[in-house]
Amino acid sequence: MEISRLRRRHVVSLLGGAAAVGVSGRAFAQAEPPKPAQIVVNHSGGSMGSAMRKAFFNGFEKKYGIRVVETSPVDFGKLRAMVDSGNVEWDLTEIGGQDAIRAGKANLLDKVDPKVVDRSKYPETAQNPYVFASSVYTTIIGYRTDVFKNGSQPKSWADWWDVKKFPGARSMRNHPTDNLEFALIADGVPKDKVYPIDFDRAFKKLDQIKPHVTAWWSTGQQPAQLLLDKEVVLATGWNGRFYDIIKKGAPVEIEWNEGALKQGSFAIPRGAKNPYWANKMLAELAIPQQQAVYASELGYPGLNLESLNFVDAKVKPYLPTAYLEKQFWISDEWYAEHGTKAAELWNAWMLKKA
Amino acid sequence: MTGRAAWPALPALILLFVFFLFPVVRMLGFSLEGGTLEWYAKALGEGLYLRVMWNTFEIALLVSLLCLLLGYPLGFLIATTTPGWATMGFIFVLLPLWTSVLVRTYAWMVLLGRNGVFNRLLMDAGITSDPIPMLHNFTGVLIGMVHVLLPYMVLPIYGAVRRVDPAVVAAAAGLGASNWRIFWRIYIPLTLNGIFAGCVLVFVLSLGFFITPALLGGGRVIMIAVLIEQQVREALNWPFAAALSAVLLVATFAVYALAQRFTQPEART
Repeated sequence: MEISRLRRRHVVSLLGGAAAVGVSGRAFAQAEPPKPAQIVVNHSGGSMGSAMRKAFFNGFEKKYGIRVVETSPVDFGKLRAMVDSGNVEWDLTEIGGQDAIRAGKANLLDKVDPKVVDRSKYPETAQNPYVFASSVYTTIIGYRTDVFKNGSQPKSWADWWDVKKFPGARSMRNHPTDNLEFALIADGVPKDKVYPIDFDRAFKKLDQIKPHVTAWWSTGQQPAQLLLDKEVVLATGWNGRFYDIIKKGAPVEIEWNEGALKQGSFAIPRGAKNPYWANKMLAELAIPQQQAVYASELGYPGLNLESLNFVDAKVKPYLPTAYLEKQFWISDEWYAEHGTKAAELWNAWMLKKA
Repeated sequence: MTGRAAWPALPALILLFVFFLFPVVRMLGFSLEGGTLEWYAKALGEGLYLRVMWNTFEIALLVSLLCLLLGYPLGFLIATTTPGWATMGFIFVLLPLWTSVLVRTYAWMVLLGRNGVFNRLLMDAGITSDPIPMLHNFTGVLIGMVHVLLPYMVLPIYGAVRRVDPAVVAAAAGLGASNWRIFWRIYIPLTLNGIFAGCVLVFVLSLGFFITPALLGGGRVIMIAVLIEQQVREALNWPFAAALSAVLLVATFAVYALAQRFTQPEART
């Protein structure tokens, strides 16, 4: 059913596209719009930016002779301001999961062109017409191996909450997403039944862990740094950040069980100057060999399921796609609707003296 | 001011109008979207926002006081010492000002942590057996903010001390006043302008602080700028963000007006 609905949408978009082309007559016959000197890709920067350059941008530049200009950071507010004012600087931008859903609804995005971007090897959940799922990441447990030796680390959220059996300072994200889910799972809710979230139950459970959380992190680098400095011995964090310090020899390991999966996404802002070439770039991001290069660099695998075949055997254990069964997907749809309420409750809960 | 004296300032005034006044007015327009005061009612009616606003002002006040306590002696010293030492002093005051706030904040994390430099020193010296919590709490936020904002206190005070007529000081000394008395009866009253300028500067800048409290406060210290950013970037509720900003702006003006009332009479006599 899902597929037939998608197809219908594609047909509609094709008709719309044909109508738009009809206006400018000759363009229909033309194979490709003229090449611009450059396209602008906006992403979150840092090590992710350099990995994207290595895996995708260099190849794109060589193939088409179009320079890829990179900007950062990812900013939904800026995207909205650009589209509203008609001055769209980005041809392609990274976008957060729930933001992507809201942006699609708010008519801020162009559809991904199925004629240019082949997503036939993608799982059905990653076929949103407006959003290209570029990679998977997960929030999981990072732990110090010198404190939790020989597999004695917490292996579930119930364990994480058990401060008697697993003592030590912890760090968690300063955000309702992930934590509400973890609290419910620790409280006995099966991981496929956390939505819709029961706020009361989640916050009551969070009350129990609050005194044991030394730092509530707000940037992705923080949890890795906190573990490195031994400021905490347990931290929730994004798998790629832990992978990075593990690669460099830090006494840290990852427990994947009950991790919270999310997808990193890219989308084309409505009114982008070079939408055709933005789609061409997405096509580049969909090549499994290139996704494997990216995944080996950062630990964030792509969603072309063939890409796992091109990854080194040493890297595979650090990719979240190797543990999909153990984990659960964060519901972007739920947050698109209830995210604001969740953030307000979270702030109020943070201010509460524990 | 006559017309002749005002026109060279015209480019600056135009710049202020286009890049400051116009956006502020537009922002105020945003906050009244739909012609209702709904968002102001939410900003002022819900406990969360008022409390965070109050916290923000409390932190700003504390940071201003700490900066004054540290900054006055420093500004005074730089203004009254030999040129060589004054240059050294300036370098130490200004160098941090040119360093990224993020870098300095991470540096404080290294220094203040449980296994940080300070706690190591204290524990190795046997002063404490357990690490003193200096990071991921209110203390950490105060230390980080005072460090970032100290130059804004030192510079106006330095300027004010330099403007004190040395003849007045010499006269007081000649009449037998003690150093302490000279300080309280001459320097303090004559530098009040600098003190208030520094305090207002530090206070107003504190209100908008963002990165430092988030990183050094371990998420526990919430300031209003963080909530405004959440509304702009995450919730995309720009009318509400604008209303919160407007409330902050009005409160800031009120503080500024209050400070003016304090300084003006002294400045004239």
